Amino acid sequence: MIAAALTIPFTVGLGLLFLRKLVSGRAAAGLGAASMAVSLVLLALVWEGKDTISGEVDTEWIEPLGARLHLGATAISWPFLLMTAFIGLLCCVWLIAGDTAPALVGLVLIISASSLGVFASLDFLLFFVFFELALIPMWFVISWWGDPHDSAGRTRAATRFLLFTVTGSALLLVGIVLVARDSGSLQFTEIDGGPLVAAVLIVLGFAVKTPLVPLHTWLPDAHSKAPTVGSVLLAAVFLKLGTYGLIISSGLLSASFADVAPYVAGAGVVGIIWSALACYAQDDLKRLIAYSSIGHMGFVALAISTMSPIGIAAAVFGSVAHGLVTGLLFFLSGSLKDRFGTASMRAIGRGLYARTPWLAVAFVFAAVASLGLPGLAGFWGELLSLRAAYEVGVLDKPYAWTALGLAVLGVALTTAYFVRAIRLLAQGEPVAQEADRDLAVRESVVSVALVVSILVLGLAPGLIVGLYDSGSTVTYEGTYTAVTP
Amino acid sequence: MRRWLYVVLTAALAVAVAVWAIPHFDEPGWFGYVGQSVPGIVPPLPSLSPDLFLFPVSAQIVLLAVGIGLLVQIYSTAYLGHHPRYRSYALIIILFLVAMIAVVGTTNLWVVLVGWEVMGLCSYLLIGHEWQTPEARAGAAKAFLITRIADLGLVLAILVIGETYGTYDMIGASAAMSDDGPQSSTVIGLLVLVAVVGKSAQFPLHTWLPDAMPGPTPITALIHAATMVAAGVYLAARLFQFYADSAVVLTAMAVIAGITMLMGAVFAFVQTDLKRALAWSTVSQLALMFAAISAGHPAAGTDHLLAHGVFKALLFLGCGCLMHAVGSSALSAMGGLRRSMPATFWSMTVGFAALAGVVPTAGFFTKDSVLEALLHADRELPGGVGVALFAVALLTSLITAAYAARLWILAFLVRAPDERRAVTHDAPHAMTGPIVVLAVATLALSIGQPFHLGIGLLSTAIAAAGIAAVFVAWRNGRSLDLDAPWLTAELGLDRPYARWIPATLRSSAQAVVDVDRDGVDAYSYGSAFVAHRVSRVLALVQSGNVQRYATVIAAGVIVVTAAAVIWA
Repeated sequence: MIAAALTIPFTVGLGLLFLRKLVSGRAAAGLGAASMAVSLVLLALVWEGKDTISGEVDTEWIEPLGARLHLGATAISWPFLLMTAFIGLLCCVWLIAGDTAPALVGLVLIISASSLGVFASLDFLLFFVFFELALIPMWFVISWWGDPHDSAGRTRAATRFLLFTVTGSALLLVGIVLVARDSGSLQFTEIDGGPLVAAVLIVLGFAVKTPLVPLHTWLPDAHSKAPTVGSVLLAAVFLKLGTYGLIISSGLLSASFADVAPYVAGAGVVGIIWSALACYAQDDLKRLIAYSSIGHMGFVALAISTMSPIGIAAAVFGSVAHGLVTGLLFFLSGSLKDRFGTASMRAIGRGLYARTPWLAVAFVFAAVASLGLPGLAGFWGELLSLRAAYEVGVLDKPYAWTALGLAVLGVALTTAYFVRAIRLLAQGEPVAQEADRDLAVRESVVSVALVVSILVLGLAPGLIVGLYDSGSTVTYEGTYTAVTP
Repeated sequence: MRRWLYVVLTAALAVAVAVWAIPHFDEPGWFGYVGQSVPGIVPPLPSLSPDLFLFPVSAQIVLLAVGIGLLVQIYSTAYLGHHPRYRSYALIIILFLVAMIAVVGTTNLWVVLVGWEVMGLCSYLLIGHEWQTPEARAGAAKAFLITRIADLGLVLAILVIGETYGTYDMIGASAAMSDDGPQSSTVIGLLVLVAVVGKSAQFPLHTWLPDAMPGPTPITALIHAATMVAAGVYLAARLFQFYADSAVVLTAMAVIAGITMLMGAVFAFVQTDLKRALAWSTVSQLALMFAAISAGHPAAGTDHLLAHGVFKALLFLGCGCLMHAVGSSALSAMGGLRRSMPATFWSMTVGFAALAGVVPTAGFFTKDSVLEALLHADRELPGGVGVALFAVALLTSLITAAYAARLWILAFLVRAPDERRAVTHDAPHAMTGPIVVLAVATLALSIGQPFHLGIGLLSTAIAAAGIAAVFVAWRNGRSLDLDAPWLTAELGLDRPYARWIPATLRSSAQAVVDVDRDGVDAYSYGSAFVAHRVSRVLALVQSGNVQRYATVIAAGVIVVTAAAVIWA
């Protein structure tokens, strides 16, 4: 089933690329949405329980290298898989409009399918292949369909994105080779530890993608120049490739990862403060959301660096919640950019509560979720991160508690910049503009779907957290055990 | 009438809560430990299971909340009935009440937290209901930011309670505590203190409450009486057992309460705006409740919370009636309203009497219980702090009586300003009805209250002195506006929040953006530059010139041969 869940969107995506002249944009998007929906259902059905690998597929691939086509869903990857398929589906629904290019739908499907492949891989080389496969289509998405008012800027942003991530991937590949040589296997189920240098390279590779400060400078440009679906996929799915990779490597290389963990924690916490301050000075809404992603990923990095079961739960929850919440924020800022031709808050003007009421309400909801109001999805990831840092995993106590204090300060700053954004956009004396239009049907469908899922995850955190309750450990057949303090 | 739909919804909520809460009134025990819950060694992962449970005190508070909420909804149909955004306004009030029920009616600390912060969000949305005006935007943002920063204290307190007692259930934690004795009480207490100081607008996080006045007046009544700020006192009392043995926490709370009650009363005395004066009065009265808690008598604090909730809601709703009549909340626009607005006048008279602590209102009895608790405060508080707190509380009572009398005189008795159009009739029934109900409740709640003879005589004498002083001054024709600019400017205590912190934030944010662009990115530009230079150098060997290629090859052969000879 997993193989089908990957192949269907991939094939449909390739088909749309080749047959882009023959189908209308609307039909292409509908077809894409259908295939992602099928994929989502298959992935939901594949689940067999948290103590086993669900829907495992294991066949020969490149025998001399020991690489196998090894796919399956674990308690860690399953939430990522569902979230990716869900976001992919919503991106296709978003594209059901007259002016959509069929090729863009094709690329979205290929990106989604490749990302699903990353999360489903149980072979490190296969993981890497999917990891790279998702990159190139994204370059096209940004540089061809990016900001229509700034063609030089979007190409520059796309190339910058590609160079940063490819450099990261190169380090990652070397790290994978070292790990494979050390363990004699590429299978997640068999890898047991690796040399320190491999851990450093792999963490660096994923840190570019996550991104951790100071490797983050590609992100604001790429997010702000990408088209709406590009931004959503970048934030909701691409960054998760990084955090998922970090989670995996913290388990596979536990001994050597523990030596790198303090640096990951430090970079994460500095990122929380740094990005929050950067957000406070932004005028471009998409740049603001991009920077806020760095802060949220900082919480995830802090959680992973504790290498405790709570930390794993925090990282998975934080990643999925960020996908939904930031996905919604990027969809809505995309709506604004479609209408006003710019995401500059000053140009969009004040008083959206009066001018486009539902759009404003949805935006405020997303902002409140993103600043971590308890009862909405954004809160639990942050909370569990704080708890993981408080309980102190592999980190020193003073170090972990300093990180905890800075993270708490970051929460306060996050509130400040979102309140500022709400004040600049939603509130204020409304000055009507010609482009004021409230949410269209497709926009409403996407927004409602995300609002509902944010509420559900916020009110029933057990849906994800329950996968990691302290009684059971998350395992790859016994080899993956998180370090307990 | 769609407005009444929301009244019906609120009434349904209120009835449901009443059916749930009233049977709990007669149960024994205050917040004592009841039942059992087996905590683990490691706290479980957080969940939001409702875990509904009412103690007698929580039953009273939750009933107060929905009762005032219902009255506010009825009142709003007349006060705000023609507002274009009435739907969102009324729905947020209902959400507000549900959040308050979540805080009061559960034993799950995470549910408390969710309700706690949803209340913060609701007050943000309601204070900013008139978001066209800059004052409303600024007041809302300030309220949300200050309370949310303080809320982080509660988040951490819950984490520490969980780690200490192995459960996030309040009853379970008390069970664990009764076995092993209290632990980490200073840390828990200080974190809880941060949370409640923010929520209940105590010094030094008090400045958001007076600035929340641009919100619609019924909302002010709701926030000041039944929900938001009441939740702070409730939580401090509810979690009292977790920090009761920490002298540090109790002393800190006593000092904060002492500073706040005096400051609030003095600021209330010098205001020229009725609504803002009442806001400062709330700050001061809440401090009185915290003083009772810090003296080891949380029950006195929650009793005063209930009485204060009723009469402060009455005063704010009455203030709304006056604003409705004269179109402003400035005291200078009021005066001479005694005859033209009889229902408002008599109800608010009861309210002011309760605020001043005049027998036989509920405010008199509950304030005396607080004073009685403070009289014996030196048992809980070290040395002079208890005595000082009692003295400050007496002084506060004096000033409170004085400002209550001053506001009453200025609103109703002084001559009406000449330029104002005549007020010919009282507010609509939907507005006067709720305040009459609240006035009756203010008197009725005094039935069965404990009475302390000595303190009662003392406080009556003090209240009489305060009222008499103001009356004499007024009769002698002196102005009741105190000429003390540094007091009316509220001692500049707002300056850090209004100027310094935002300015620091703005400049550091700008610095971060600059560094991010010009500093952090240097390595990527640097490597691009290096790659460019290297490619220029390497391009030299691929010039297309065959002679140069031949030269390089020859040189290479020589070098390789030499190397082979040397190292062979």
